[in-house]
Amino acid sequence: MGSQLNEKAPLHALDISASTQDPSIGLVIARAGLGKTAILVQFALDNMLQGNKVLHVAIGAGVEKTRTWYEDLLRTINGEDIEEIPGIMKQRMIMTFQESSFSKALLAERFNDLVDQDIFSPDCLIIDDYDFENCSRSDLEELIAFIKERNLQMAWFSATSHREDDRKSASGVPAPCNEIEDLFNNVLFISPAEKEITLDILKSDSSKVKVGTSLHLDPSTMLIKKG
Amino acid sequence: MNKDLSKVRNIGISAHIDSGKTTLTERILFYTNRIHAIHEVRGKDGVGATMDSMELERERGITIQSAATHCTWKNIDINIIDTPGHVDFTVEVERALRVLDGAVLILDSVAGVQSQSITVNRQMTRYNVPRIAFINKCDRTGANPYKVTGMLRDKLDLNAHLVQMPIGLEANLQGMVDLILMKAVYFDGDNGENIRMEEIPAEMADEAAERREALLEEVSMYSEELMEALLEGSDNIDPALIYSAIRRGTIDLEFTPVMMGSAYKNKGVQLLLEAVELFLPSPTDITNNALDLNDGEKEFAVTNNPEDPLIMLAFKLEDGRYGQLTYVRTYQGELHKGDTVINSRTGKKVRVGRLCRMHSDEMEEIDECGSGDIVALFGVDCASGDTFTTEGINVSMTSMHIPEPVISLAIVPADNKAQVNMSKALNRFTKEDPTFKTFVDHETGETIISGMGELHLEVYIERMKREYQAEVAVGAPQVAYRETISQHADFNYTHKKQTGGSGQFGRVAGFMEPMEEGDYEFVDKIVGGSIPREFISSCDKGFQKSMIKGALCGAPIVGVRCTVNDGSFHAVDSSDVAFQLASAGAFREGYMKAKPTIMEPIMKVAVEVPSEFQGPVMGSINQRRGMIIGTNEDGSYSVIEAEVPLSEMFGYSTNLRSLTQGKAEFTMEFANFKPVPKSVGDELIKKYEEERKNG
Repeated sequence: MGSQLNEKAPLHALDISASTQDPSIGLVIARAGLGKTAILVQFALDNMLQGNKVLHVAIGAGVEKTRTWYEDLLRTINGEDIEEIPGIMKQRMIMTFQESSFSKALLAERFNDLVDQDIFSPDCLIIDDYDFENCSRSDLEELIAFIKERNLQMAWFSATSHREDDRKSASGVPAPCNEIEDLFNNVLFISPAEKEITLDILKSDSSKVKVGTSLHLDPSTMLIKKG
Repeated sequence: MNKDLSKVRNIGISAHIDSGKTTLTERILFYTNRIHAIHEVRGKDGVGATMDSMELERERGITIQSAATHCTWKNIDINIIDTPGHVDFTVEVERALRVLDGAVLILDSVAGVQSQSITVNRQMTRYNVPRIAFINKCDRTGANPYKVTGMLRDKLDLNAHLVQMPIGLEANLQGMVDLILMKAVYFDGDNGENIRMEEIPAEMADEAAERREALLEEVSMYSEELMEALLEGSDNIDPALIYSAIRRGTIDLEFTPVMMGSAYKNKGVQLLLEAVELFLPSPTDITNNALDLNDGEKEFAVTNNPEDPLIMLAFKLEDGRYGQLTYVRTYQGELHKGDTVINSRTGKKVRVGRLCRMHSDEMEEIDECGSGDIVALFGVDCASGDTFTTEGINVSMTSMHIPEPVISLAIVPADNKAQVNMSKALNRFTKEDPTFKTFVDHETGETIISGMGELHLEVYIERMKREYQAEVAVGAPQVAYRETISQHADFNYTHKKQTGGSGQFGRVAGFMEPMEEGDYEFVDKIVGGSIPREFISSCDKGFQKSMIKGALCGAPIVGVRCTVNDGSFHAVDSSDVAFQLASAGAFREGYMKAKPTIMEPIMKVAVEVPSEFQGPVMGSINQRRGMIIGTNEDGSYSVIEAEVPLSEMFGYSTNLRSLTQGKAEFTMEFANFKPVPKSVGDELIKKYEEERKNG
């Protein structure tokens, strides 16, 4: 370990390490199928390669499918086989929940089981496909309070927006997160463009990244095509 | 014998234990008139189900050996392999999948996708086996086929869609709605043998129409004709068009039709048989490859043509009441009673005196069999996995994926009679099951058996006692460790014994290096005759002998490439023995410099546990040096997936029972070998040194 993801991975352009917030709470929002999970897994892989421990919570997906994301992305981005990197598998744990069964209380219980029994102490939390449409602001506040309480360095959420719902916050964060954007330090918005994917930085707490920057990604690799 | 192969189905039935596959098979045999009375797995009549033909299976209510059986549904010949549900018998499942063209994956309507279903599904994926899902036990309290279909998608990543919906559920299960024919189907008569088709109950009509719409939309992806027909409206679509689209999707492994019913209550089985015919492939729909042994094992597709030379794979041996039976699958050509065939592994000619079709424990003698058939041969001496051909071709079916044994134990016969019987039993078992191995430890004189898990070995010990009357005392199970090297190391060793009489002299120089694939490779880079040609093979032999027992803990050494690039010899004193000893010395010298490590078998473990016990169970895995890969929480149940060293898994079932009030279960299968942590390695080295000191 101690290596990093391919320099064309969009997370380098975001320079999360220059975050001024602790913990840094981020959101990747896009319509279905545009690559939210791929971006989250990039964050996770980079953390793992740097020796941080990642808890990946996938809502509505299976463990096997989530594992495959990691394997495929690392192979595509770095040309490496994840199983061949010594010790890296110990840097990640996957928890999957059915949509209906996920709650902050359940996550807290499982998280405490891991930490208190000295099984796994995460530095970074990924929550993929959190149901923002059916959760209240206070649900999310509670969850973020828990993240802060457990001294995590960063947490990233993904949210699904819908073409037919055109509500937006002042900084351009689409529904269903338009009224809760203040809870996040970083917000990335993915949208399709002709033969590429655009990643807009709508909010950032990094001292080095300018809000309003757009990155153009290759849809097959989710790596930067041009800045 | 030009049989229409489109009317042949070779299918397997796989499931988690207790999902009812033996009951389902029993009903299939009943409806296809192969048996005339139904016996239950744990039936009160003491007969037991027909497919569970081994005494031990009947007693335990589980299926251990796969029994092949043939039946006819309408004009379709169906060969069924009933496969075991325990992971410890995985090779049985894998062998069955190798010879099958399609499979039925049975799921419990309440428990849904269980740990064993995940393993079996993975195996089916490995062998590209198209499958139908059958959600059984819909009469049970808590039955929910919709939830199970969701699990098939989420947990097994199958594109699973219901082609039926239940009429009533649990104790009120009455029948099914066929979403293709849009009819309600009921099963009348004492054994559900009379099928009655009615209009769909009015209160279900809207939901049925919606579900049909969704199904058609999905399967139209596999048929342009259907897609075009759909554009004109979904009401009057020819069912044949829908069947053919589902069939295409299923065979291409892109779609999994989901059927349902209750085999025990005689509901839905005939519709499943229809689905086997309609959706699962015939031998000609599947490409099976063989290896051309005359052309560097180049793969080629078998033809299924009865006029081509015979290619036949022996996938199972059985020692039963009819003597030795060899189950074979024919891939091309024909076999007639009295023909002589060649075993391509041994090159020996074998005459096939009798051949028969098995109907579980009954048999029907036949005169010939052709491509796509699964039949049994009498009195043919071979091992499981052998290929038979006619003279003139030299081919083998693609080698089967056989995992290395991971556990061993010593057995000692109680007396002389037991000794003789034990030898007979071991001889038989090793032929039947390639993952079961046996050898005599020359140092202790003990007979060692090894296999894929505790249960695997327990069953063979039990069979030795019951079938062969061989009473044996059993030692504690031992983990099969391996040793390997981690870096390049040079060697240069001279073996010299020239003090009077005939002397010995040989010098071997070169290097050893780790290799990722394979256990051992010898590379000869001698130039200029520094080691004469006749002694090169002696060097190879010397290295191989050195690898039988590693210096760290006495385990076999694997993953080493030895290259010899220099040496010297003596015109008189050099000999085969001298160079073998020189190579052994060179290996010893290089081995310790090449940073040797001990590796242990790591098992992939899945524990299914009520969610309230998830915490303690994760703790128990952690205590056993396990690495938790992930947890999957599904309301009241969680599945914990982990990798745990086998040495830490002994006694885990007892531990798990006490932690969860007996409510959890686990499965495990071999994953890979990994280096042991230093503390464990030191312990093993110390133990080995003590054993050596004590002689």
